[in-house]
Amino acid sequence: MKSLGCWPQHDSQRTGRWNPSLLGWSAFLALLLFPMMAWAGGATQAMSVEYRDIPGVGSRNVVWVVAQQHLLLAGFVLGVPIFAWVCEIVGWKTKEARYDKLAKEFTKLLTSAYATTALFGGILLFLLIGLYPKLMAYLTDMFFPSFLLYCLLFLLETATLYMYWYGWDYMQGNKKAFHLFLGFLLNVFALGIMIVPNSWATFQASPVVVADGTAWERAWAAMQNPTWWPVNIHRLIANVVLGGFIVGAYAGIRYLLAVSKEEREHYDWMGYVGNFIGVFGMLPLPFAGYWLMREIYQYNQQMGITLMGGFLAWLFILQAMLIGVLFLGANYYFWMGITHRIPGSESQYRKPVMAMLVVLLLCLGVWMTPHSLVASLEEARKMGGTHHPLLGVFGVMSAKMTVSNLMILVTFMSFIMYWRAGKQETAGWAKAAKAIMGALLVLAGIAVVVLGVWGYFVPAIIRINYFSVAQVLIVLFIMITFTPLTALLMKSAKTTTEMVWGKMPIRAGYSLVLNAVMVILLMSLMGYARSSSRVHWHIYGVMRDTSEYAFSPALGYAAAFMSLNTFVFCLLVAFIFWVATLGDKAKANPPHGKPIDVPGHAAPAMAGGSPRVGEKLE
Amino acid sequence: MSEVALLQIIGLCVVGMGIIILLFIKGMFLRVLGFVAMVLGTFSLIALSVPQMASLPPAVETFDLASVKSPEDLASIGQKIFFSKGQCALCHSIGPSESARCPDLNGIGAKLAPGFIYESLTQPQAYIYLDYRHEGLPKEYPARMPHIDKDPIGLTNQEIYSVIAFLQKMSGEPISVKVEDIMNVEGEGDQKNPKVASLGQSSQREQQEARGTIQE
Repeated sequence: MKSLGCWPQHDSQRTGRWNPSLLGWSAFLALLLFPMMAWAGGATQAMSVEYRDIPGVGSRNVVWVVAQQHLLLAGFVLGVPIFAWVCEIVGWKTKEARYDKLAKEFTKLLTSAYATTALFGGILLFLLIGLYPKLMAYLTDMFFPSFLLYCLLFLLETATLYMYWYGWDYMQGNKKAFHLFLGFLLNVFALGIMIVPNSWATFQASPVVVADGTAWERAWAAMQNPTWWPVNIHRLIANVVLGGFIVGAYAGIRYLLAVSKEEREHYDWMGYVGNFIGVFGMLPLPFAGYWLMREIYQYNQQMGITLMGGFLAWLFILQAMLIGVLFLGANYYFWMGITHRIPGSESQYRKPVMAMLVVLLLCLGVWMTPHSLVASLEEARKMGGTHHPLLGVFGVMSAKMTVSNLMILVTFMSFIMYWRAGKQETAGWAKAAKAIMGALLVLAGIAVVVLGVWGYFVPAIIRINYFSVAQVLIVLFIMITFTPLTALLMKSAKTTTEMVWGKMPIRAGYSLVLNAVMVILLMSLMGYARSSSRVHWHIYGVMRDTSEYAFSPALGYAAAFMSLNTFVFCLLVAFIFWVATLGDKAKANPPHGKPIDVPGHAAPAMAGGSPRVGEKLE
Repeated sequence: MSEVALLQIIGLCVVGMGIIILLFIKGMFLRVLGFVAMVLGTFSLIALSVPQMASLPPAVETFDLASVKSPEDLASIGQKIFFSKGQCALCHSIGPSESARCPDLNGIGAKLAPGFIYESLTQPQAYIYLDYRHEGLPKEYPARMPHIDKDPIGLTNQEIYSVIAFLQKMSGEPISVKVEDIMNVEGEGDQKNPKVASLGQSSQREQQEARGTIQE
């Protein structure tokens, strides 16, 4: 053991190439090898060990915290490349430098968080191997070839990220196309890195019968379990949402801390982009969630009931609350943008904003109405059961599907309103287009409500298979038709009021932070739901959890843990981003002499939008 | 002090600390942290105010052969299994119910032969009775009968026979499952049990002939 730890140093001294980092790595390896060697010594005993515990804290709690940090960081580093790349393409196509700079700033945050994500992944792996050896042996036996694939993808992702980040300034001009191709590869590998481990986790929830075959055949069969692709799609979208809102929160905090006008303008714009990305991803997310729940029900009705009607039923009330606050926060930010960035628009949009607020609050109220009320025996007797005669009507899925669709519609219209504010359509067909859009919107709203009410009077199967799907399609239709139509209208529109950046009130920064916290909490909450839906099984129906932690804790305890995890994650991200911007501060304020003049795109701290001469912001 | 009360106090302290920071601290970053703490504390307090239910793992139930003296004892054990380990009541009702997602089992012991019930429990996909809702459109989704003898439910043959005895008793039928048969049935490996296999096959044919609505 000792010799292992000292050998590299000794060798380096002998060869005259003493390397402190080599020593560090050796010490790290020795640290890792120590428990492995200790366990190897009692190999026979280790083979029979099913669980190990961490006294005082509990193995599950430790794994919970580490896994949550890893997953949140992973969600961020897999979501950011998507919109960083899109932003770079927009900059390339429009020739506007600010988009390229913003994409670079996104990538800087990504690069900073990447190593920490991998670090937590490594810690999680060691903890799982050490604390759950039997489960990990089973999963390794089933999935080993996919482990190798994962390692390969990770290597490719890392190499591509290095080239993408460090080659940013070099690959401009003629080389930009290659840089964009690297961005594309980065996203392809990131997708692979996400979906491979997803298959391990989804197999635990929805295992399939794996017939005999080669190791690759067995791994592939296990990967293709019923909830794999629903989770892949759901996580892909959720990662974009998480990335967008975290970038928004970063911009919000930087906006609050900004001292110069340029900084305020830049981070106001960055906050807007972050919020836009978050909202853009959030709109289709409930549809992906619906598909996932549907697949869960189809796979195992009992698991679906555990989630929606069993001990986790109240979790969905909390989920409704978080999503409701998120919708309100995102809309509020849009409305503040209309008021403060487009002077004179406030009076024009006050009434629609008020109407939207009322609709959102009503929808939130319905969504948060529980199916069964918490009532004393006396109260329950008076009500004739735990279902309230009036409120009970809102506690069922038909009502909740309706209001969630309406909230999506309202949020989408907030965005459209923001887009159109301060502009005057000049196209000859603008009046007709606006009338058609208005009529379609009213019809869509009525159709969603009618289907929702009708849903009470048809068998559940009709509602699930036809009515709910129709509601989703109606909302998607509105989004798909309105977006290009508005884009066409805006193309020829005349700007009546120039967008003014950096004038948002302080509460705008806080609302961006609030949105990010809501998304992090939501991801933590739904992670707990997915894990708890397996109840006392490591692998549902295949490997029972026989440890002392085979129970799912109550919501209150779990929520306290989620809050702790969220706070730790926020601190971690703040630290990472702070470290990432230290270099920029040094460039801006050198210890001696004048600030270093960093030309063009080599100014990462202020990259992306500080308006300069000749650069148009909107 | 209960765990919930302790967590509520911690949550209140966190919210209070957040408010104090927002009121008295000038540093913007600390103020943001205070705001985040306030939001998280509030979330925890709300989560602590809803009904607190933990999901405890079920005890591994065993078939106590020694306690079975009569068919009624068998039906009594079957009733316990029906509402607990067997998880039948999660989807099925006994008598009309709006919340039931699967066929009403009222009188099922009189309508179906024990062999057919056995097959329905262990090979639910062998024959699909599409019109089991008796009204409205046939419902194939989301209800899907699990294999009761396999995980996650995993009833043994003895337990399945007890459930059949309960279904018969509940339907007012004489219990045809005999205690001595139960004693001879192996707990595992039902496919190898000739008694069970023959019972299933014969009743399958009977049922197929008797009911035109049964489809493959």
